[in-house]
Amino acid sequence: MKLPVNPEKIVQFKGMREPLSLQAVIKESNRCLLCFDAPCSEGCPAGTDPAKFIRQIKFYNYKGAARTIRNNNILGSVCAFVCPVEKLCEKKCSIKALEDPINISGLQRFASEYGQRFEIEPPAQSLKSEGRIAIIGGGPAGMGCASALAKMDYEVTVFERENLTGGVPRWNIPGFRLPEEALVYDVKNLISQGVEIRHKSPVETPEAVTNLLAEGYDSVFISSGLSVAFKLDMLNGYSNVTDYITFLRKVKFGNESLNLKNKNVAIIGGGSVAIDSAVSAKACGANKVYLISLEHLSELPADKEEINLARIMDIIFKSGSQITGVVENENGLSGLTGIETDWIEPGKFIPLNARQISGTEFRINIDLVVQAIGTKPGNEIMILAKGLKTIGKGIIEVNEDFETNIPGVFAGGDVVNGGATVVQAVGEGKKAAQSIDNFLKNRRTSK
Amino acid sequence: MKFQADLGVNFCGIRFGNPFCLSSSPVGNHAEMCARAYDAGWGGIVYKTLGLEKSFKVIMPSPRLSVYNYGDKRFIGLQNAEQITDRPIRENIRDIAWLKKHYPHKVLISSIMGYVDEDWIELAKMSEDAGADMLELNFSCPQMAHKSAGHRVGQDFLAVAAFTEVVKKASKLPVMAKMTPNITNMVPVALAAKQGGADAISAINTIKAITDIDIENFTPLPNIHGHSSATGFSGPSVKPVAMRFVSDLYNSKPLGLPISAVGGIETWIDALHFLLLGATNLQVTTGILRYGYRIVEDMIEGLSDYMLERNIKSLNEIIGKSSRKIVDPSEFVTRFQVVSVIDDAKCIGCGQCYISCQDGANQAVKFDTLTRKASVDEERCIGCLLCKHVCPVWDCISINLNFHFYIHFHSISRKLRSKN
Repeated sequence: MKLPVNPEKIVQFKGMREPLSLQAVIKESNRCLLCFDAPCSEGCPAGTDPAKFIRQIKFYNYKGAARTIRNNNILGSVCAFVCPVEKLCEKKCSIKALEDPINISGLQRFASEYGQRFEIEPPAQSLKSEGRIAIIGGGPAGMGCASALAKMDYEVTVFERENLTGGVPRWNIPGFRLPEEALVYDVKNLISQGVEIRHKSPVETPEAVTNLLAEGYDSVFISSGLSVAFKLDMLNGYSNVTDYITFLRKVKFGNESLNLKNKNVAIIGGGSVAIDSAVSAKACGANKVYLISLEHLSELPADKEEINLARIMDIIFKSGSQITGVVENENGLSGLTGIETDWIEPGKFIPLNARQISGTEFRINIDLVVQAIGTKPGNEIMILAKGLKTIGKGIIEVNEDFETNIPGVFAGGDVVNGGATVVQAVGEGKKAAQSIDNFLKNRRTSK
Repeated sequence: MKFQADLGVNFCGIRFGNPFCLSSSPVGNHAEMCARAYDAGWGGIVYKTLGLEKSFKVIMPSPRLSVYNYGDKRFIGLQNAEQITDRPIRENIRDIAWLKKHYPHKVLISSIMGYVDEDWIELAKMSEDAGADMLELNFSCPQMAHKSAGHRVGQDFLAVAAFTEVVKKASKLPVMAKMTPNITNMVPVALAAKQGGADAISAINTIKAITDIDIENFTPLPNIHGHSSATGFSGPSVKPVAMRFVSDLYNSKPLGLPISAVGGIETWIDALHFLLLGATNLQVTTGILRYGYRIVEDMIEGLSDYMLERNIKSLNEIIGKSSRKIVDPSEFVTRFQVVSVIDDAKCIGCGQCYISCQDGANQAVKFDTLTRKASVDEERCIGCLLCKHVCPVWDCISINLNFHFYIHFHSISRKLRSKN
């Protein structure tokens, strides 16, 4: 029982879905089977506990539901909008054996907004101090960790590079998907827990983490995210080629609104951010928007909801295709050439495994290219502490407790998992907080 | 092949094409409404209760309805503060005469309520003269603003006997006395009516109840300018209570009068339940308030198919079939104990049976959190069936005896299976 998205709102970058009416909320919550050891709660990486808040909604305990969401997930309001629920909480909903799964995100949004509207008491600030923790990066993982630590009586300082808190949800998730108020509310809750957030405080100098520990912080949590977008070599050097990080931020916070009227835009990639970029381009007035991906439609990493959104917005799917070259004119890039592809070995979705199908060459006129083919951490990560171990594209290596190879230094979120969901990052931050607490308690007892 | 069973019944010597009637209420308020009800297929109408405005002027409260909701299910019960008709007696009598002229083969029962003997006599005679086939004496309206009418009469054995007798003397028509359920035991009142000469009993009128309260201003609903009242409750919620009273009446040996059942009938299965408990005639209001006269089509077709499938020639073959199985708990056969059986293939792993058995029964249901399957420890199972009743898959849990709780669901699903 999900409400349909409203294309008019997308074009205005306003919440694309209406909230569930109270009537719909009562109906939906009464469909819930109130499972024992509920699979929905099991499916939430951040431990938001949907089984509990749905039960609270069913029994008209709306403020209780709002408290559950907020206390379990510091980004609970944001997650209600951005979670790929069909892959998480709703995935194993028991009622799927009989009918559609419960619209958990709709109920989560209702409860969270009810709590905001009727002003549930802000989360309490602890007056005790179990120790001081520095958190590098105020995105979902950093917020999740900070909130959990504050609850465990730690003094937490978040060092945030930007002038606003929130990370990816703040800068890169378009307004039609995530209304700003949700994030503002969640950040407000974090601050009322007594967490200090230092804006415009990038931590990027050599040995910065070592220095923080020397300054008296008992532990450091790195959640700096992924800041560098991958780029295709053949597209280097063109002024009308950009990456999704820059593009989405410009769409959201550009001083002058991005005018793409009558322009053709090509998005390269098939994940959630590619779809967000494509839909944003269309919402900015673009004429034709192409989504070019090696993966075929059924293989796209974006979830069904997102693909459906792209369809509603008339995005042209060039899935199972590859860019082969650039068409230039006096202004630079004016088009792309490509070809359809197939997989040499099934199920292996990497460029090396793609086989071009001759006779399927195509050429499209393009005014702007947005690359959404992945991101990696900035180069500064490796030098934050001497010997900090990284792997692959530069992500930090941690053990199952989110501890790095340097004692007392923990990491989580995209900088560790290589890029995942908001809810995953919050969950990692929470787990890391528990590990930090364990680590400090052990250190104290062994002293 | 026959497609329509004979649903006709003889009730107090009157032939009904089918046992389905409107009960005395807003659904039979005037001729135009009643005509549409006849056209829709109803076998009879109990016209909205007549009273004499010279004795008591009825003024309806407003608003007069409130509903009982359960979760997302609305209207599982209805509370109504409406009284007997507020139309002038002349108009109503004219309407009854018109209806009998235009629908001579349909049954019209005139429901009447007086305050003194003379009222009862006058109303009975006027009804008879207008052509009514039968009289129903309203001893049971629970919200009459008049101090000595409605259910106050119905709780007074002597008054019931006396008024019935007065009417019987005044009119040749068969007389049916309508009982109030707002009493511990209905049988003595019914016996009083019989003593007065009643030919049949109708039960139940509505149950005095409070359905809802506005928690902001503390006013129960319906909020009638700041006040409310415990008034007549009806609809699906009252059906179990109505079934109990009908069964009591049917099982009373000294009574032995035909019964017209009222209370929560919406489907042919509801109707069948009352027939099985001993009713010969059936009356409906709340189902019509909610869904309209059209519901009779499905009652007729459904009951007819039920009879054809089982080769039941006449409703008389099944009337009362279940009532003799209603016994005092002291007569239960307790030699047999049953245990629940969970169908592994149908279990969807919600664990509701586990929670209910843990907290409300004998901790016999086990739940495997890895496979997400429930099972029953037969040693611990006390056969209460709580697990079956909470299970969202209606045919997942059974007992090891041939017993069905959703008899219609099971008979239909069995039929579907046999087709495959």
